[in-house]
Amino acid sequence: MPQTLAEQFSLKRFNQGSPSQKASVVLNLRRVYILPNRAGLTLAAVIVFMLVASINYSNSMGFVFTFLLASATQVSTFFSFRNLSGIEVHGLKCAPCFLGQQAHASFVIRETEGRDRWGIVATIDNQLLSIPHLKPHQSYPINVPVLPPQRGWYSPNTLTLSSLFPFAVFRAWSPLLFAQKILVYPRPLSFKQALPSLPAALANSSISSPSPGADDFSGFKTYQPGDPYRQINWKAWAAEKGLLSKQFSSQQSAQVWLDWNACSSPSTEAKLSELCQWALAAEKAQLRYGLRLPSKRIPPANGDAHLQHCLQSLALFNQANDD
Amino acid sequence: MMIEGHLNNTLMRLLLIIASLLVLPHIGTLNPLFIVISLALIAWCGFVHFFNRFSPSAWLLLPLSLLLAFLVLKLHGMSLGREASSSFLLVLLGLKLLECRRQRDVLAVIFVSFFVLITPFLFEQTIALALYGLCLFFLLLCALIINASGSASIRPVDVTRFATQIGLLAFPLMLIGFLLFPRMIGPLWAMPKDASNAVSGISDSINPGQISHLALSNETAFRARFNGASPAFNELYWRGPVFWQTDGQQWTVSLNSTRREAANDPSPVNTLYRYSLVLEAHHQRWLYSLDTPITAPNQVRLTQDNQLLLKDKLRRTRSFDLLSNTQTAPEILNDKDRLRALALPKNTDQRVYQLAARWQADAGSDIAVINTGLAHFNQEDFYYTLTPPRLGVDPVADFLFSTKRGFCGHYATSFAVVLRAANIPTRLVAGYQGGVYNAVGQFWEVRQADAHVWVEAWLAGRGWVRFDPTAAIAPNRIEHSIDFSNQRLGGEVRFLIEPSDGFSNWAQQLTSLMQAVDYYWESGVLAYGPEVQHDFLSSFGIDGWEQMVLWLALLSGGLILIVTLFLYRLSVRKEDPSQAAYLAFCKKLGRRFTYKKPAETSLHYFTRIAAIKPDLEPDLQQIRQQYLLSRYAKNDARKLLTLIRAFRF
Repeated sequence: MPQTLAEQFSLKRFNQGSPSQKASVVLNLRRVYILPNRAGLTLAAVIVFMLVASINYSNSMGFVFTFLLASATQVSTFFSFRNLSGIEVHGLKCAPCFLGQQAHASFVIRETEGRDRWGIVATIDNQLLSIPHLKPHQSYPINVPVLPPQRGWYSPNTLTLSSLFPFAVFRAWSPLLFAQKILVYPRPLSFKQALPSLPAALANSSISSPSPGADDFSGFKTYQPGDPYRQINWKAWAAEKGLLSKQFSSQQSAQVWLDWNACSSPSTEAKLSELCQWALAAEKAQLRYGLRLPSKRIPPANGDAHLQHCLQSLALFNQANDD
Repeated sequence: MMIEGHLNNTLMRLLLIIASLLVLPHIGTLNPLFIVISLALIAWCGFVHFFNRFSPSAWLLLPLSLLLAFLVLKLHGMSLGREASSSFLLVLLGLKLLECRRQRDVLAVIFVSFFVLITPFLFEQTIALALYGLCLFFLLLCALIINASGSASIRPVDVTRFATQIGLLAFPLMLIGFLLFPRMIGPLWAMPKDASNAVSGISDSINPGQISHLALSNETAFRARFNGASPAFNELYWRGPVFWQTDGQQWTVSLNSTRREAANDPSPVNTLYRYSLVLEAHHQRWLYSLDTPITAPNQVRLTQDNQLLLKDKLRRTRSFDLLSNTQTAPEILNDKDRLRALALPKNTDQRVYQLAARWQADAGSDIAVINTGLAHFNQEDFYYTLTPPRLGVDPVADFLFSTKRGFCGHYATSFAVVLRAANIPTRLVAGYQGGVYNAVGQFWEVRQADAHVWVEAWLAGRGWVRFDPTAAIAPNRIEHSIDFSNQRLGGEVRFLIEPSDGFSNWAQQLTSLMQAVDYYWESGVLAYGPEVQHDFLSSFGIDGWEQMVLWLALLSGGLILIVTLFLYRLSVRKEDPSQAAYLAFCKKLGRRFTYKKPAETSLHYFTRIAAIKPDLEPDLQQIRQQYLLSRYAKNDARKLLTLIRAFRF
């Protein structure tokens, strides 16, 4: 992974990890760090005491066992490393959520070298998950609940895999920072508050001629990519008449504009909440709705993809990495 | 960061076993009270573990700890000695085990155990104990691993495999540390007094009955290995301290004799013997050497009266390379020494002078007087026994004229007194006589039972000559070693003569073998101190502690680096050879025609090439076929390699 010099020498690497553009990372010599923990320092003190006793009594066997203990401790770091190396970690795509809702950062840990791994601990946001035994080639899913603090893109914090194996005097750890992001929509207003303001928006609407809806069947049309699978006429497909989509229309379906300027709330965030609530309500009411923001305009439509598009625009409203 | 969890049963049981095994070697060396206390604490812990009752509360443990610490201090004082610290560590181990509830406590128990592991070696360093320690070390590694895995599902096989691997890898690293860590000379703080007690051996003062307690000791005093032939058994007089002064009761050593210049000796070479001595720590300053040492090893002083003296007391096993001549060179006796060698206490019994006069009466020369004296011991009613009657205020007169039963100490001291009374300069020499030859290891094993005292008298024209009155009364003593295994206090003195029956012969072979192993253990491992280290390392050109530290760092660092590189090689994924060959081939094609796009399959790419150069198509087709076969049908990659090699543009 290319790194600038400043990044290479930054101490942040050791606890935050260097950001990875890839979705999966294999732990290796570059990523696993090892330092003695508090117990390790205690053991070092014990070894020094043993050495002093050996020197004082000029005791050969004392020297032998002191050095054997010191060497074994040193050698144990190789096994600390081997306990983590070759583990593959995938950062999974995370579902979007609304602000205030709990989202889940998901990872999968996979053993790739056919060895048993012992006492691995996954840490993210001060939450501990202990994996006492990872069997050869076993995959282990990690779902960590996270509570994003604000709307927009939320990057889960560093996932740290660590283990104290084999002696519990050295801690081997690997900080992993994935590119995966969670999209956080604005917090929707509660329904009770939202409903009265909806008619105000509807007042702005114009009744139009029959438009695609979900209520009444109005005929078939040739399938176009993007049509919902539910509307495909499978019987016609089975009769080799080609792919046809059922068409529904709703005479009542109205076209509404969810307009920034029509919001009753004074603040930006509250306005976004309001718009968010409207979009949800409009989708639920099977209306055709468009979104009008100061910087952006989304023409009326409906359906899941449209809703997501609208919500994403709201989530990323006035944010630097707006797309 | 620790994971709080319930301790697993295997680990707890293992710790209980280890703790009990750690106490065992201390039985017999430490105050039995502390052995009992620590075993009781371990048993209590076992009871809590198996029956889940009588678990100690913190309110009980704290006062108990204070009480036990007080007890150690009360019995051993504020010393930092080995007995005090060993007792303290054993008690600490028991207490730590009792309050062991979490992973952190387990670590504390294991750390204390590692320390306790080396304490028995402060008392003795036999091979058996070293192997025992090694087993315990292994068990402790296992305990560490079980503890760190934090998982009950780790199998004993896995644990032992990890412990073995770590132990084997640690061994060369330990060896580097052992050989290269600069051994400082002398203790860091004043050597605790208790390190020197209970050491048997020749002491710095001799009274007539003293040597006898050594005759029952099977302990090794030293071992000597000759370069070439060894002298005859009855010539093996290992000289130790020389005694000039007596107060009538006992003789005291004088260690401040003047230095003797290394003699450019005119004596014949065929009585020169070169040998190495592995001397056990006897907590005295002198070495033992055959008759006349020619040169002194480093930091050893050779005195006028042929003693080899160290600067400090010998506190650990050391080996010395010595050169001796069994023939004494004639020397001049100066007046001061003559006076010293003739001095007798004022209260010497008149009968002693009368006896001396009687010996002198018919003799014309000093040597004749001495021979008369030896004959006196032989012909009069003297007996050789290890249990002589108790002597009174004047031991010499008592022995010579009333009890007449004694050991070498009696004979030598009384003989020396009578010779001085006869105006012959005489001194007393203590040391060892003989030894047991070990044919397996080809060395002489000299035990405390071989301790001996004899007399040296000064004869004009011949210098100091050795006379052994014991040989006159018990010639067997000089021909054979004392057979310690058949020795009974109060019984007849037995000597080691050739074993008669087959079994004991076989048993003796086995004993020889074990002693030979022990010899190499002592001379190779235990005697590895500052001097041996210096000699050994300077043969590699490593001199001084700075260089030792440098090489220690270089070698251990290098070893660690090698293992790290090996691990790195392992962690770098090996590419499939057919894949590598294919990619290299594509690169080659790319230079000629057009490069393969990263996402392109072999089919797409080769089709593209064939469009540019149609005559290559059949060859490319073949290569593609073989590549797919070796990648996905597990075919041998060699076919593909030959095809690619044969490919011509």
